[in-house]
Amino acid sequence: MKGTQLGEFEELVLLTIALLFDDAYSVAVVETLGEKLERPMSLGAVHRTMQRLEEKGMVSSRFGHATAERGGRSKRLFTVTLAGEQALQEMRRIRNELWAGIPKTAWSGL
Amino acid sequence: MKNKPPRWAEWLVERLTAPYQRDEILGDLSELFQKRGFRYGYSKARLFYLLDVLLLMHPRLWRSKSRSLAYANYPQLTHYQHPSPLVMLSNYFKIALRKLHRNKAYALINVVSLGLGIACAILIFTLVKYHLSFDTFHADKDRIFRVYTELHDNKTRYNPGVPNPMGDALRQGFTAFEKVGRIAFLEKRVVEVSPNKKFTEDIAFADPEFLEIAHFPLEQGNPKTALLERNTALITDRVAKKYFGTDDPIGKIVHIDDSLVVRITGILRNLPANTDIRPEMYIPFGNLKDHTPWMVEKDWWFSVSDDMQCYVRLKPGVTAAAVDNTVLPAVSSKYYDEKMAKYFRFKLQPLADVHFNPNLKGYTEKKNLWAFGLIGLFLIITTCVNFVNLSTAQALGRSKEIGVRKVMGSQRGALFWQFMTETALITGMATLVAFGLAYLALPVVNQLFEINLTLNPFNDVYLITFLPVLLLLVIFISGSYPGLILARFQPVMALKGKLSQRQLGGFSLRKGLVVTQFAISQLLIIGTLVIASQLRYSQQADMGFEKDAVVMLPIPDNKKSKINTLSAQFSELPGVESSTFFDTAPAAEDVGNTGIQFDSRTESEKFSISIKAADDRFVPTFEIPMVAGRNLNPSDTIREYIVNESAVKALQLKSNQDVLGKRAVINGRPGTIVGVMKDFHYRSFHLGIEPLCITTRSENYMNCAVKVNLGNLPATLAGLEKSWSALYPSSIFTYQFLDEEIERFYKLDTMMLRLIQAFAGIAIFIGCLGLYGLIAFMAEQKTKEIGVRKVLGASVPSILWLFCKEFVRLLLIAFVLAAPLAWWVMNGWLNNFVYRIELGAGIFALAIVITVGIAALTVGYRSMKAALVNPIKSLRSE
Repeated sequence: MKGTQLGEFEELVLLTIALLFDDAYSVAVVETLGEKLERPMSLGAVHRTMQRLEEKGMVSSRFGHATAERGGRSKRLFTVTLAGEQALQEMRRIRNELWAGIPKTAWSGL
Repeated sequence: MKNKPPRWAEWLVERLTAPYQRDEILGDLSELFQKRGFRYGYSKARLFYLLDVLLLMHPRLWRSKSRSLAYANYPQLTHYQHPSPLVMLSNYFKIALRKLHRNKAYALINVVSLGLGIACAILIFTLVKYHLSFDTFHADKDRIFRVYTELHDNKTRYNPGVPNPMGDALRQGFTAFEKVGRIAFLEKRVVEVSPNKKFTEDIAFADPEFLEIAHFPLEQGNPKTALLERNTALITDRVAKKYFGTDDPIGKIVHIDDSLVVRITGILRNLPANTDIRPEMYIPFGNLKDHTPWMVEKDWWFSVSDDMQCYVRLKPGVTAAAVDNTVLPAVSSKYYDEKMAKYFRFKLQPLADVHFNPNLKGYTEKKNLWAFGLIGLFLIITTCVNFVNLSTAQALGRSKEIGVRKVMGSQRGALFWQFMTETALITGMATLVAFGLAYLALPVVNQLFEINLTLNPFNDVYLITFLPVLLLLVIFISGSYPGLILARFQPVMALKGKLSQRQLGGFSLRKGLVVTQFAISQLLIIGTLVIASQLRYSQQADMGFEKDAVVMLPIPDNKKSKINTLSAQFSELPGVESSTFFDTAPAAEDVGNTGIQFDSRTESEKFSISIKAADDRFVPTFEIPMVAGRNLNPSDTIREYIVNESAVKALQLKSNQDVLGKRAVINGRPGTIVGVMKDFHYRSFHLGIEPLCITTRSENYMNCAVKVNLGNLPATLAGLEKSWSALYPSSIFTYQFLDEEIERFYKLDTMMLRLIQAFAGIAIFIGCLGLYGLIAFMAEQKTKEIGVRKVLGASVPSILWLFCKEFVRLLLIAFVLAAPLAWWVMNGWLNNFVYRIELGAGIFALAIVITVGIAALTVGYRSMKAALVNPIKSLRSE
């Protein structure tokens, strides 16, 4: 991991960005995450997280097209970088290892 | 407005968000709003919007882009659609500097002309402030007044002095006064520190209360006993250093005019520059009777001398009007009989008025100061006009820049402020130049006004507030109009280069500005010419007596024997033609006035007559023509008078002969009128010739005039000094030529002339700079036109005329405006003189010739250059 940690919310946002692939921008992330988690998301929180992710180099951004409903303002589109993908893979591996390591009796004993 | 997010919230986010993410966030918010509005209705969406805005509040929102992001692949341009003002300012500065660098001549003209204008404004401001600050440093200055005298006969005369018992009278009988201080001013007394160390000093005899009224603190010595003990003196620190160097001055003995010996008991702090009370040596009032007994002789209520003054401080709550209306009339009626009480009236003059009341020997009138300020304002306007002119002309040259800026999204406001920044930059540089100029000019100004101004913006609150105000004013007056013009450009037209002078607008305004500028210059030129010719007239006109080659000497001691000795010794000198003794010169500022009772008439005459005391050689020495009768008899005891023609007229006599041999009581002394002189100017040309009489009276003689042969002047002067010094060993020899003394009557006028000359010069110079800039620009614009004209056969003069006709026309319009105004102002000024020149057409013609000449010189060189260009060169390049 070499110093870059992913927080839980960060991981979720990063995953959502990967999921949305070509249309990953803040509003889409807010909506998708909102639906999945079944709780309203604040734009501010998502925005800041995406900023942090970009600073960590896990996503890159470019400017997309402006639409009328945005009042003619362009959106910023995010793509997961190689570093981001590796971080996600790493997280998944660690989780899988942990899952695999849980003894069966741990669950049924209760 | 149903489906729009709340404007104020949007505005708030726009303000707060860092520029690089502003668009994105606003877009997100608005997209969310639209989606939610579609789904849940707009009022709910609006609530969500506000919630989102609230949750956006986080330092990340306004923090500038973090460093790691700076490397990210951000498209740069779009981030700065609403750049922060500071960033833009540095861009403006950069562009402005480049512009100035590229157009050095333009920059130089602007900086120099603005600099000149601002320098004048700074100097004028300092000067006006200096005069307004006179005597404002005294404690309780609002309660301090000077008592002055009004003498009411057929006209009212004013005298800043009072009869000498006034001080005591006010002190004893009246309760309105907190302090009453008499002070007697004596100018140019000889102070002897040691036999070979003598100084001429203005001294004053004052009551101890005077120093409590006036705020002149003691640095050494006891303020409680100062001026109480006779034969003591207070001197200022400066004088102490002059007399005694580094020695302790306290206890030192000095002699004053042979008649008084005083001991220094205190040192006053140096007098501030802004006080009209100039003596630097104070002696107890009681000593005055030892020094100048006539000033205090027998408590005389019937004599008023300028030099005997009385300052008072009223008790708090007492108004000056109350004192004027009750207390001072009571003084008059208590000490005079009914008739004289009408004649002698006393009033209070506020301390703040002392410097400004010309009736009471004030230095200058306030209206002069305002006139002065107005000239300063004129100059500033001229310079601003220059700037506006040049920069609107230049505006065409930058149409491409403006066009590009507009296409890139510059708003009008931004372009306007860009131009204002440029103006501010130029003005800033001009201010530095102005300070340099003001510092250079300050010694000259100080010398001209005989004052001691200093210029230090860092310890002068007024100047430091005045400067920014002035700068803002200049920046706005000169920057706003061209700024508006620039900001108004249509980008398409500007980029196509299709803007012409006419479309720029303001060509007629520019013409108007040039007219204003030249009207101001011409006004000042006419003023200069009028004042100069009036002064030349005053100084060269025949005064009615001989004033050339006459040396004037003071007579410190007028004992008959001394005068006779001096006269005998002078007549032996080879260069001396004749000499005469008298009280005041044939033309003098101060002439005594008195009443006259003629012949057997029972009543005194209604008019007052000026009186001079002079010996029998006065008339021949000054070559005053006698029109009837004979000159005075040398005797001092047989009272004889000679009068001038005006006196005969005032006595309503038909012929000059009628007055001869008649008895007259003048100044209370009966005598016989033996001769009539032709009228001569015995005062300055400001005043008319009024009745005058001359009589012999040696105890009044204070001056001696020696008519010398100009052939060997230095030797003659040395001879005069030798005899004079031998006779008056304790005095200091000084002399002056009569014509120079007469010139000094017009000192104030000469000062004004110098000033207006300077201002006219500056105004013309600034105007010419502007004109040069305009013509240079015009020449550039018309390169093609001139080329085509030349190809078609136009001659050089006709092309020159193309340039000149416009300016000649403007000059003429300016003249039409300036001439009546100048006539009105200068006629007012000439009315100060009884003997004056008439405002002829010549002066006005000369003024216009001068301006046209100067303008032609300015325009000529540049337009000549343009006219001589080979048309091949100007037409080849397309």
